[in-house]
Amino acid sequence: MTAPLLTMQHIVKSFYGVKVLDDVSIDLFAGETLALLGENGAGKSTLIKILNGDYRRDGGEILIDGQPVNIDAPRDAENLGIRMIYQELHYAPELSVAENLLLGALPRRGGALNWLIDWQQMNRQAHEALALLNVDIAPTTKMRDLSVVEREIIEIVKALSRQARIIVMDEPTAALTPPEVQRLFGIIRGLQARGVGIIYISHRLDEVFEIAGRITVLRDGKHVGTNPRAEVTHQSLVQMMVGRSIEDRAEVRAQSEAITPGAVALEVRGLSKAGAFNTIDLQVRAGEIVGLFGLLGAGHTLLTQAIFGAIKSDSGTILVDGTPARIASPQDGQRAGIGFVPLDRKVNGLVLDMSVRKNITLSNWRVLTRFGAFQRGLEMQHSRNWVDQLGIRMAGGIETHTRYLSGGNQQKVVLARWLEANVRVLLLNEPTWGVDVGARSDIYDQLEALAAQGLAILMVSSDIEEVLSVSHRILTIYKGRLTGEFSQSDATQEKLLHAAAGGQS
Amino acid sequence: MRSVQMRSVQEIASLVVMLVIIVVVMSAASPVFFTTRNLENTLLDITTVGILAIFTTMLMIGGGLDLSIGSTLALGGVIVGVYQEAWGILPAAGAAILVCGLVGLINGFLVTYVGINPLITTLGMLSIARGVAFVLADGLTIPVFDLQGTQTDAYTLFTQFGEGRVLGLDTPVAVMLALFVLALLVMQFTPYGRAMYAIGGNYQASNLAGLAVRRYRMIAYMLSGLSAGVACVLLTSRLYAADPRAATGMELTVITAAVLGGISLAGGKGTLIGTMLGVLILSALMNGMKLLSTSTDAQNIALGLVLLLAVGLDQIRQRNFNIMRFLRSSRLVPEVARVSPAEGSQS
Repeated sequence: MTAPLLTMQHIVKSFYGVKVLDDVSIDLFAGETLALLGENGAGKSTLIKILNGDYRRDGGEILIDGQPVNIDAPRDAENLGIRMIYQELHYAPELSVAENLLLGALPRRGGALNWLIDWQQMNRQAHEALALLNVDIAPTTKMRDLSVVEREIIEIVKALSRQARIIVMDEPTAALTPPEVQRLFGIIRGLQARGVGIIYISHRLDEVFEIAGRITVLRDGKHVGTNPRAEVTHQSLVQMMVGRSIEDRAEVRAQSEAITPGAVALEVRGLSKAGAFNTIDLQVRAGEIVGLFGLLGAGHTLLTQAIFGAIKSDSGTILVDGTPARIASPQDGQRAGIGFVPLDRKVNGLVLDMSVRKNITLSNWRVLTRFGAFQRGLEMQHSRNWVDQLGIRMAGGIETHTRYLSGGNQQKVVLARWLEANVRVLLLNEPTWGVDVGARSDIYDQLEALAAQGLAILMVSSDIEEVLSVSHRILTIYKGRLTGEFSQSDATQEKLLHAAAGGQS
Repeated sequence: MRSVQMRSVQEIASLVVMLVIIVVVMSAASPVFFTTRNLENTLLDITTVGILAIFTTMLMIGGGLDLSIGSTLALGGVIVGVYQEAWGILPAAGAAILVCGLVGLINGFLVTYVGINPLITTLGMLSIARGVAFVLADGLTIPVFDLQGTQTDAYTLFTQFGEGRVLGLDTPVAVMLALFVLALLVMQFTPYGRAMYAIGGNYQASNLAGLAVRRYRMIAYMLSGLSAGVACVLLTSRLYAADPRAATGMELTVITAAVLGGISLAGGKGTLIGTMLGVLILSALMNGMKLLSTSTDAQNIALGLVLLLAVGLDQIRQRNFNIMRFLRSSRLVPEVARVSPAEGSQS
């Protein structure tokens, strides 16, 4: 048997005396996809950064084709054919695909001075590079006109055209719809066929099962195990990652008695916005979690924004607790008793350079001030209360800036803000994007507890497992129209996907 | 991970060190520098910049910027000068403050509701206010004192703004300190101060948290204008004259002091104490150079150097700048624009 393409042996790395990687070993063969799993903080990204030369290892060895190599800087990794595809892509949006592909090595012409760009040659080279992976994107398209998945694909093509032998992908599907994920997987299989080794980092287990040959799990900086796909199950992987077993939520829920929701807390009548959604009627009762399932761009995100007042709708009525609410701005939404957890918590949810305490109380100043000044003790007491109740974990106490929290804990801070503001209705957008498995289960528990206390929750999600396991009732949306309604016991993946893809239910 | 509190303490400490070094060096170089008289004069000299800097700091923490304060101040002064006889000196002074507040309000409206970039808005207003000041004053410096002798009492009171003393301090200094303490309390303990940090830190998130982001921003611009109004009354009273050329370029000194003191152009960061230390550092430097008979041009050059040095060092510290890595990687490779979805969507 030939030597593995890449071997990382006994890697050790500490920051300020804290071991973040403790004797971790992985190997990767040519033409294989190795999934790297672990909760946030398990050491995945440290390992990858060592491979890419961003960090220097404290101990251990890296071998390529069985030969020990030195990787001290990103340039060394590049020379060895190691490429990273990050979640945040780097590209020039106003330039064409071909220009982006060949940037830094654009073919030239123009005689001795060589001062002109040979556009024809450039487009031909780009076309050849795209053809290697059967990508049908015109080289002349501007980068900004491509979809997210297409930009990722261009990044992969670029890596390959620059002699990549090992490609590391960090959560490449975080912003993709299911069909786009399939397109990306097609590309990954193309890479495998060309003998490239792929390290695939993801939180989405179903994807990992689909694309990876072997799966490595890290936990707390230690290597828990590497297994062929066939030898692990969903549950055993979660257990390896979390270190304890998490009961299957859907089963638990199926056993529990059907909930008896209270009065209608949120009612939407005939809400329309041109190009976004059309005559939406829906009701959410107190104590009920309603899942709103649709593919990306189906209009559900815009719908929740409109209910909250973040965008304007053209027509329709919104009633909270049976009273019509005039909602033209987020302030109106908040005043009406609606809370809104946005899609991208770092951009839209949190003030990252403010403390956990101040972020939690951001929507509830009226109660916490007296004679125009904050009552510090009261504010502290209120925010501590939510930190305890939701189990928000942070290294440096309640004054830690939210920037330094993990995704799951950041999401809990946003949740806590609306609970502190004492809202009646909570609109959630993709509540567990970029949240690791353990924290995810935690958030679901919290949502159920909140519903049980009488909160009405409308949850937008494009994660079908999430919708199925958390919602009491599920609505599907397709091209801005509601296309189906399912009780929890009726709903199946097939039915939901069918309805969300525009099929009649 | 360094604690953030620690960092700001470090920042303040390094500003204090900088101030001490300048004072020590200047005292050694000029025997006049460290005298009660010179220090008192310096303090009086910085009141205009100081008052403007307090409100510029609050505005910039909230993610705003106001380049028009110098012009607004001149406009206010001219209003005092032109209307002192027709309206009486005290009503004219009141009107000047109101007009300055109105200018700020217009800035705020254009930025928050019309959506013009703050730099452009206040650059335009810089031109407009200065232009109106020149038109009203006919391009001339207007004497401000009781020419007819009909408002003796009112002028006596008006003169007190610039020349009187309160609690053993010159009135302008006392006003500046009072405003400073007030602003400090507001930023530390009130929703308004919290809102400035939140909005400057993340406008979109603050909006989606239900904060009245536009109203807060408007108020910040209005206060910036009002501060120019207060400063113009103090200055006119002290100088017995209103000059349409007054405070030309002062906005740059003010912003320099703020940035030197740790205020970020992006908003959300910095403290009033930092800004005030910035003001003190700049004025100690300028005053010292003046005593050493350096030309104004040289002082301007020093001003610019201090700004670039301070901000440059801070950037380097933040990025864990590594000179070896820099040299190794500084081959002539074309730089690819870094556009992430998150950054792209922030304005």
